[in-house]
Amino acid sequence: MKENVCIARFKAVVCLLAVCICGLSSCSSEEGDLRKPVIETLDDSFPTNCQVYVKGGVIPFHYAFTDDVELGNYNIEVHNNFDHHTHSTEAGDCPFDPVKKPVKPWVYNRDFSIPPHSLRHDARVEIPIPDDIDTGDYHFMIRVTDRAGWQELKSVSIKIVEAS
Amino acid sequence: MRNIFVGILLLFMLHSRAETSDTIPPHAARSVTLDEVVVVGGREEAGSRLLPSLNVVRVGQDWMDEQRAGSLMQTLDGVPGVRAMHIGSGQSKPLIRGMGFNRVLVVENGLRHEGQQWGDDHGLEIDQFAVDRVEIIKGPAALFYGSDAIGGVVSLHSRVMPMKPFEAGVRLFAQTGNASAGLSARVGGRRGRHYYKVCFTVVDYADYKVTTDSVRYYSYRIPLRKRRLRNTAGREYDGSMAWGYTGENFSTRVDASLVHLESGFFADAHGLEVRLSDIDYDRSSRDVDLPCQRVNHVKLTNHSLWQTGDVRWESRVAYQANWRKELSEAVSHGYMPLPPGNVERSFRKQTLAAGIGLEVDVQERHRLQAGLTADFQHNRRGGWGFILPAFEALSLGGYLLDRYTLSDALTLNAGIRVDRASLHVHRYRDWFLTPVADADSVHKERSPEGRWTFRSLTWSVGGRYVSGAWTWKVNVGKSFRVPQPQEVGADGVNYHVFRYEKGMPDLQPEESYQLDAGMAWRTEQAHLHLEPFVNYFPNYIYLLPTAGYTEGLQTYVHTQSRVFRWGFEAGASYRVLPRLEVGVQGEYLYAVQLSGAGKGTALPFSPPWRAGLELKYVFPSADGTGDGFVGCSYTLVGSRNRIVPPELPTAGYGLVNVSAGKAFAWKGHRMSVHVQGLNLLGKRYYDATSYYRLIDVPGPGRQFSVLLGMEL
Repeated sequence: MKENVCIARFKAVVCLLAVCICGLSSCSSEEGDLRKPVIETLDDSFPTNCQVYVKGGVIPFHYAFTDDVELGNYNIEVHNNFDHHTHSTEAGDCPFDPVKKPVKPWVYNRDFSIPPHSLRHDARVEIPIPDDIDTGDYHFMIRVTDRAGWQELKSVSIKIVEAS
Repeated sequence: MRNIFVGILLLFMLHSRAETSDTIPPHAARSVTLDEVVVVGGREEAGSRLLPSLNVVRVGQDWMDEQRAGSLMQTLDGVPGVRAMHIGSGQSKPLIRGMGFNRVLVVENGLRHEGQQWGDDHGLEIDQFAVDRVEIIKGPAALFYGSDAIGGVVSLHSRVMPMKPFEAGVRLFAQTGNASAGLSARVGGRRGRHYYKVCFTVVDYADYKVTTDSVRYYSYRIPLRKRRLRNTAGREYDGSMAWGYTGENFSTRVDASLVHLESGFFADAHGLEVRLSDIDYDRSSRDVDLPCQRVNHVKLTNHSLWQTGDVRWESRVAYQANWRKELSEAVSHGYMPLPPGNVERSFRKQTLAAGIGLEVDVQERHRLQAGLTADFQHNRRGGWGFILPAFEALSLGGYLLDRYTLSDALTLNAGIRVDRASLHVHRYRDWFLTPVADADSVHKERSPEGRWTFRSLTWSVGGRYVSGAWTWKVNVGKSFRVPQPQEVGADGVNYHVFRYEKGMPDLQPEESYQLDAGMAWRTEQAHLHLEPFVNYFPNYIYLLPTAGYTEGLQTYVHTQSRVFRWGFEAGASYRVLPRLEVGVQGEYLYAVQLSGAGKGTALPFSPPWRAGLELKYVFPSADGTGDGFVGCSYTLVGSRNRIVPPELPTAGYGLVNVSAGKAFAWKGHRMSVHVQGLNLLGKRYYDATSYYRLIDVPGPGRQFSVLLGMEL
C-alpha cells in the first residue's frame, strides 16, 4: 500500500518536471545564425586549381561570397608548397615540381572587409606577383567569415613560373 | 575517551571491509541503472561524505570491468551525465553534463590530478586498471577542491588495502576495433600494520577502424587503407606502487606512479589543414609516426590520517610532473620559416600541493570539517609553436563545512570556502621575424609579461531526506574557475585548430551557481531516479569567434558572458522476472548564452541528449562467486544542431551493444571473463564531442572486446 502512495507521488513529480521541460524548451526557439558563408566559384573565377601564373604578373582574384545572415571579412593568403606539405581542398591532383628548399618564397597575406549587412559580395582584387620570388608550387588560400564567426575556406594549388 | 578509540577502530574496520568489497551492493552491481543518490554503507569519500546533498555516482571495479574500454573515460561513458571526449581510440577526457576541460576536476586519492587539461587533444593520463573505484560528483564541488570543480568531479580511488600477506591479480584486455592488447598485473600484501601494493599496466593499440573507406574534408577526399584511421596507434606504460602503515590512531600512505603515453594523430590533417607527407604511414598500423604526442606523468603523494582526542586530522602532500611533447613534421607557415626539429610544442608542468584538514563531532549531531590547501604550479614551454605561455601559479584556499544530522532521515550540510590565486605569466616572443608595416621586421610578442591575483568566495547549502525506499536531495552551490594563462595572457596562433586566439587581461574568475535536486526510489524490484539541475554563470569565459582576421587566421577572443544551463538525468529499472531486469535511462542538457556577441547560441562541446534501453539476464550462483550475466543495450543519441563555430552539425544515431560476463573459481583462484560487442550493426556515426569531429571522421565501427581476470 505504502509503495503505491510512493509511486503516485513519484508520478506527480515526473509530470511536473515534464511540464517544466516543455515550457522551457518552447521559449528557447531563437537559434540565430548556424550556417557557414559560401565561397562561390564563378565562370570567371581566378585563381582556380592547377593554374599557372608568371612572376611579375597579376592574379586577377575573383570569387563571390554569400551568407544567409551577414558576411564578415575575407582574407587572402599565399604560401609556398615547395615541400608538398599540404593539399588543396579541391578534388584532383596537380602536377608538382620536385621538392626544394625555399630561398625567397612569396608570402602574401591581406585582410579585406566586406560592406556591412552584405548577403552577397563580389570580391575582385588585383594581386601583383613580385618578380624577385622563388618560382614553384604555391597555395592560394581564401578564407571568409560571417558576422556570427563561421568561416569557410578554400585552398587552391597554383604554380608560379619565370616570365618567358 | 576509550569509547572514541573503539569507535574509530570499528570505523576503520568497517571502512576497510567496505574497501575490499565491491562498491555497489550485489543487486545494484547487476542493476542496469546505477545508484545515483542512495548512499551505500560507509563507502563515501571525503568529498561526498560531508556533503550528502550532492548527486554522486559510485562505481567499482566489477562495474568497470563490465564496461571496460580503451581509456578510463570511455569505460565510464555509460554513467548518466558523463561522457568521454575521444582523442583517438586510446585517450579521452571527461565531460560531466557538458562541462569539460578546466570546468571538471579529476581527483586521484583526494588530490587534484594536474595535466594539461585545457587542450583539445590532451587525454587524462591515468592508468585505468589501477583505479579500484570511481566516485563522480555531479554538480559544484568547489568546497573541497577549489577552482575548476564547476561541472563536477571525477574522483578516483586506488586505496583498496590488501588484506592477505600476499595477493596478486592479472587482467588481460583485448579489443578488435583498434587491435589493442593490454596487460595489467598487481601484487600486494599486508604484514601486521604495514602493507604494499605494486601495479603495472601495458597497453598497445593500432590505428583504429572506422566505417568508411575515405574521409571527405572540404572537397578533398582522403582515402583510408583498410578503413583504418592512419597513424592513430599508440601505447601506454604505467607503473605505480604504494606503501602504507595503518595503526590504531595513525595511518599513512605513500604512493608513486608513472604514466607514459605515446599516441599518433590522424596523419592526413593537422589542426584543420590537409597534410601530405613522405612518411609511409601504411607500412604498419601499429607504429606511431608524426604527428604524435608523448606524455610522462609522474606523481608522488603522501596521505596521512591521525586521531587526537575527538579530532581527526588529515594531511596530503603531492608532487606531480607532467611532461608533454607534441611532435610534427616541420613546415614553414606564414612568416615562420622552416623550423628546426620536430618538437612543435612541449610543456613541462610541475605541481606541488599540500593540504591539511580536521574533522570533529560537535554536540553529537554536527560534524565539522575545516581545512587549508596550497597548490603551486610551475609551467615551462618549448617547441616552435606557441599556444600557452610559461607561468607560475599559486593557489591558497581555506574551507569550513558542517553536516548537521537532524534525524535518521534528515541531514543538512552547509559550507563556505575562500580562495586566493596568483598567476605570473611570462613574456613570449616569436623566434622568427615578421615584417611590420612602416618598420623593420620584429619578433612579435605573443604573450606579455603579466601578474594577476584572483579571489573567490564559494559556498554550498543542501539537505538529504531519506524515507523508506525514497531519497530526496537538494543542493545549491557556487563554484568558480580561475582563468587559464592563455585566457588572460596569450595573443597568438592556435595551430590545433588554425585560429588566432586573443587573451583578455581583465578577465574575472568564472563563477557558477547551481541548483541540484535528486530523487530516487529503490526497492528490491525496481529503481527510479531523477536528477535535474539548473545552472547560471554570470561570467562564463567563452572563446568568441569573431568575423575578423589576424595574420591570416580567424580571430577568436576570450570574453565573458552570462550563461544559463539546465538538464537532467533520469532512469528506471524493473525486475520483470527474478533474473531478468529491464532498464531505461536518459539525459538531457540545454545551454544558452544570455549576453555578449554569442547571445542566443549554445556552448561549445555541449553533448546532445542520450537515451538507452537495456536488458540484463543474470545467472546467480549459490555462493555468489560464480555469478554471470548477459546483457543487451540500445543507445540513442540525439542530433546536435545548436552549435557554435567552428563545430559541425551532427546527426543523431543509435547503437546496439551486447555484453556478457561470468565469474568462476579455478584451482582456488577467482577468475572472471567479460566480453562486449560494441556497435554491433556497424553503424556509421559521428560523435559530436570527438577531437576528430571537425575533420569529419566517423566513430569506431563494429568491435568486440574481452577482459580476462584472475586473482591469486
